[in-house]
Amino acid sequence: MNLSYNWLAEYIDLSGYTPGELAEKLTMAGIEVEAMEESALVPEGVVVAKILERAPHPDADKLSVCKVFDGKDNLQIVCGAPNCDAGKTVPLATIGTVFINADGSEFKIKKGKLRGVESMGMLCSSDELGLDGDHSGLLELDDKLEAGTPLRQIFAGDVAYELEITPNRPDWLSHWGVARDLACLIKREAKMPKIGKLIAAPASAPAGLVSVEAPELCPRYTARVIRNVKVQDSPEWLKERLLSIGLRPINNIVDITNFVLHELGHPLHAFDLDKLAGQKIIVRSAAEGEKFVALDGSELKLAGRHLVIADAEKAVALAGVMGGLDSGVTEGTVNILLESATFQPSGIRSTSRELNMRSDSSYRFERGTDWDMVETASDRATDLILQLAGGELVTPLVDVNTGRPRFEKVICRFDRIRSLIGADIDNEEILRILSSLRLEVSELDDRQCYVTPPLFRLDIEREADLAEEIARIHGLDAIPVPPVKSVLGGMRKDDSYYKNQELRDQLIALGFYECTHYSMVSEESALKDTAFNGDDLVRIGNPLSLELACMRPSLTGEMLATVERNISRQNTDLKLFELGRVFCANKDMYPEERHELCVVLSGRKHPERFSAERGELYDFYDLKGVIESLFEQRRVQSFSFRKSKDGKFDYCAEIVVNGRVCGHAGLVNKAYTKGFKTKNPVFMAVIQADMLMNMKAPKTLLQQLSQFPSTTRDVAFVAPDTLLHSEVMDFIVKAKLKFLEKVELFDIFRDDSLGSGKKSMAYTLTFRNPERTLTDKEVNSSFDKLRENLAKNLGVELR
Amino acid sequence: MSNAIIEQLNSAVAAAEEKLKAATSENDIENVRIEMNGRKGIIPALSKEMKNVPPEQRKDTGIAFNDAKNKLQEFLDAAVDRIAGSSDSSGECDIDLTLPGRKWQSGRKHPISTVMDDCVSIFRRMGFIVVDGPEIEDVYHNFDALNTPADHPSRDPGDTFYFGDGRLLRTQTSPVQIRTMENNDPPIRIVAPGRTFRRDTPDATHSMNFHQIEGLYIDRNVSLGDLKSALLYFAHEMFGPKVGIRMRPHFFPFTEPSVEVDFSCIMCEGKGCRICKNSGWLEIAGAGMVDPNVLKNVGYDPDEWSGYAWGMGIERIAMLRYRINDIRFLYENDVRFLEQF
Ligand SMILES: [Zn+2]
Repeated sequence: MNLSYNWLAEYIDLSGYTPGELAEKLTMAGIEVEAMEESALVPEGVVVAKILERAPHPDADKLSVCKVFDGKDNLQIVCGAPNCDAGKTVPLATIGTVFINADGSEFKIKKGKLRGVESMGMLCSSDELGLDGDHSGLLELDDKLEAGTPLRQIFAGDVAYELEITPNRPDWLSHWGVARDLACLIKREAKMPKIGKLIAAPASAPAGLVSVEAPELCPRYTARVIRNVKVQDSPEWLKERLLSIGLRPINNIVDITNFVLHELGHPLHAFDLDKLAGQKIIVRSAAEGEKFVALDGSELKLAGRHLVIADAEKAVALAGVMGGLDSGVTEGTVNILLESATFQPSGIRSTSRELNMRSDSSYRFERGTDWDMVETASDRATDLILQLAGGELVTPLVDVNTGRPRFEKVICRFDRIRSLIGADIDNEEILRILSSLRLEVSELDDRQCYVTPPLFRLDIEREADLAEEIARIHGLDAIPVPPVKSVLGGMRKDDSYYKNQELRDQLIALGFYECTHYSMVSEESALKDTAFNGDDLVRIGNPLSLELACMRPSLTGEMLATVERNISRQNTDLKLFELGRVFCANKDMYPEERHELCVVLSGRKHPERFSAERGELYDFYDLKGVIESLFEQRRVQSFSFRKSKDGKFDYCAEIVVNGRVCGHAGLVNKAYTKGFKTKNPVFMAVIQADMLMNMKAPKTLLQQLSQFPSTTRDVAFVAPDTLLHSEVMDFIVKAKLKFLEKVELFDIFRDDSLGSGKKSMAYTLTFRNPERTLTDKEVNSSFDKLRENLAKNLGVELR
Repeated sequence: MSNAIIEQLNSAVAAAEEKLKAATSENDIENVRIEMNGRKGIIPALSKEMKNVPPEQRKDTGIAFNDAKNKLQEFLDAAVDRIAGSSDSSGECDIDLTLPGRKWQSGRKHPISTVMDDCVSIFRRMGFIVVDGPEIEDVYHNFDALNTPADHPSRDPGDTFYFGDGRLLRTQTSPVQIRTMENNDPPIRIVAPGRTFRRDTPDATHSMNFHQIEGLYIDRNVSLGDLKSALLYFAHEMFGPKVGIRMRPHFFPFTEPSVEVDFSCIMCEGKGCRICKNSGWLEIAGAGMVDPNVLKNVGYDPDEWSGYAWGMGIERIAMLRYRINDIRFLYENDVRFLEQF
């Protein structure tokens, strides 16, 4: 809503509050000032000056040469105005003053000569200053003003505020409404505009002028008939008011209804009485399919749920939202019917939203209006119409209503209020605030009272609502800051965030960059993870676009998009991960929401290094090592990687923990990466993070450190290429050699000398007896036996 | 007594002595040791020849082997001492110390995670516990239980994402409050960080997918003052001790009184700048005292219990803190962006 400073000042004394201070005051009271715009301001540099002497110009009849005092110096000014007489107090634009012309160009006052006589500034008319008044000569100021006073202090101009009014406070949607609240805040009186006494010519209205068929949607409808009005331009003051809040003046009748709406907050509508068939008003539901052409020209087809204002034949207004094109006031209008009514807010809201018709009226009606203002606003507008458009009031107020409502009283326990706010506001102050807000206090004792809100306060129904008002007027800044109440916050195991943090931090410690993608993806991106098909996707009913049509079933699609995007931007060395929520509609596969971890490696391992290391590319074992590290950090030992098939990979291993598959790792399907601007392979792992995060680490118990030395034996052999490392390991572990501490692969290579389909593998076995030093004999016998068995059972040639 | 083996031993030791005198690094010394005494070195190779030595010469040959080994060790020790001594005094070395080190590359936390983690840890220190809830929510938990009127515009399909079954993507983390209160008796002291969704068309300052953190404290005699002190503590921890806060009255369906919480501008320290639109204040959190209707909806007696709740946007804080001028950068994952945090 727009608010004018000068307009507001009509209802409350704002002296002592600059526009900026007022903005601060309003904002801190909950009437948020979003923007402020100053207008029609006298240029800076214009000051009050005294004319000391006047002499004729030697070379020009119409010019005078004046001696002027600007508060500091006596200046010579050449002036063309007829009234530049000595002794007068006038505005002086000093050297350097900048005027903005109507076309936006600038005009700067400079030291100059007029017809050979030096002039040190310009004496100004009201016109030149952008002020109202006599344009024929210099603006004559009050002689009591001191020379040198900036003129801005005398002619403040206006300031337009853009306010954000919260939906619970429709009573702030007018200048009067803001003034009324401000009165409590700055402890000054707010004064309603004076409304003249309205006397209708014949004392009675025509029978059947107004009938309301839907009283639940229109609890109060009033009408007045004014005849013989003269529709014309509004006077300057009225136009100025409307322009100050950004409204375009139309004609005096329409302008008055708009003015009253923004003055008192109550929407009005004026009909051309002669265009109403049967010269009557019927408030009714629209007929199914009833046609209506609104004031803005839009053609609507209405339904029974829409409330209309109709004449004897047809709808003439969409109730509370917009008038009709054919029934409005135009230049030719002579007789008018002035509507002032209240409508049920939710009805207006749904109609306005459904038909996409919004207006200043619907904005107020859908938030709720003041029952009592119906009559006051009608009075105010009628008074203004009679003043500005002439005519005669021919009916008293025709008022069809369901009876004045009364709001429920609300208990106000003073201790409870203090406890909710946390400030020691005494009973007297609470009562002062309540009464300054025009809330009616009853049944008062020293512990509590009851409060009945006035009909313009639609937001006060509970004690908490009173607490809000008391805190607001008392000032939120005035609430003291107690020490923080800190209590034990429950068990760490119940804090789910730790697990996520821990896993994230581990990956970051391993050198990975964390990514964050949108939860919504296109179907194409979603199905990049071939574990899912279309039926498994959680689809959004009203997506923003097809690009954001479903919830990601996996992090795969967007992560690959990020890889491609980075590579296309020449960021080819990638070490990325995301830990995030993914969604699945197929309950047999996964719960609806789960956490997934996606890890990607591609490009050079050590782009920051030099020599041979610089060129090393990531391979599968780098990725596998990362996953092994994650397990190791969780002390999970029983995991394995098994060869597997999965459409998003060229080749991959499934990661098996305690017999359950918890993810896959491998080389990304080349069909996905063939368009990437790199030849580097892209390795990716997709892991069911909930399984990983919830793995219980076995108890850590200290293994005593042996005092005795270990001894090692190496075994090397040529094996067929098909023999897996895991088979060798399993075989050695199963042999259960006495004192065997660990087995490590230390070399593997392929070579022409070995023959095709062969590889050389070499392992180190470490033996240790915790109780004494091992002898060679103890080790040798079991080691030799193992060598024999390896050769015999795994078909390897010992070297 | 002499034979070919002893001669070869002596000349090898003599040669080793020369090499060790010329050695300039530990590496040189080690090479001599390996050449002489390594597994395939000269001494072990010669000792394999022992079987060919006539029995009468074996004793002397054995002594010669011992002598050779002892001498070699002497020369090795001397060389090591010489090298160590020289490096002690000179400080010279033959490597380029300015070459780049082999970095142990560290990863990067996403700025959203950093801000979220910071928020969480500050509130944990005040005794808040972190709880979690589903992102696909029902209308009851996201709107009804939070006292949102049936025709409130935020429920509109133009503002909220709905699924075919009538459920929705949560528009705020507040449903977690409801779920926590439904399942626990007061007092309650939680924070709920997480993703939220609103049907905004993405641009530099809007994202349909964003993050919030929300707090709830329900107890006896909790006041607006307690809210103020908790958020002031947060402001100081998050942005430093100079930051002040102010509360402005506002309106939210789920709190009453409702406030907006401004922090003094972290860019200009409240003097006024472009970021704070010259007001000196930045709007950071929405907050208030939990509405009695919300308490009733979860079966708490609003006359016995009271509490505050607050919520704030993680992206907004991240954008302010790092001066990120387009929210979409946060979701683009350009490595050059990520590596800056
Ligand atoms: Zn600032």
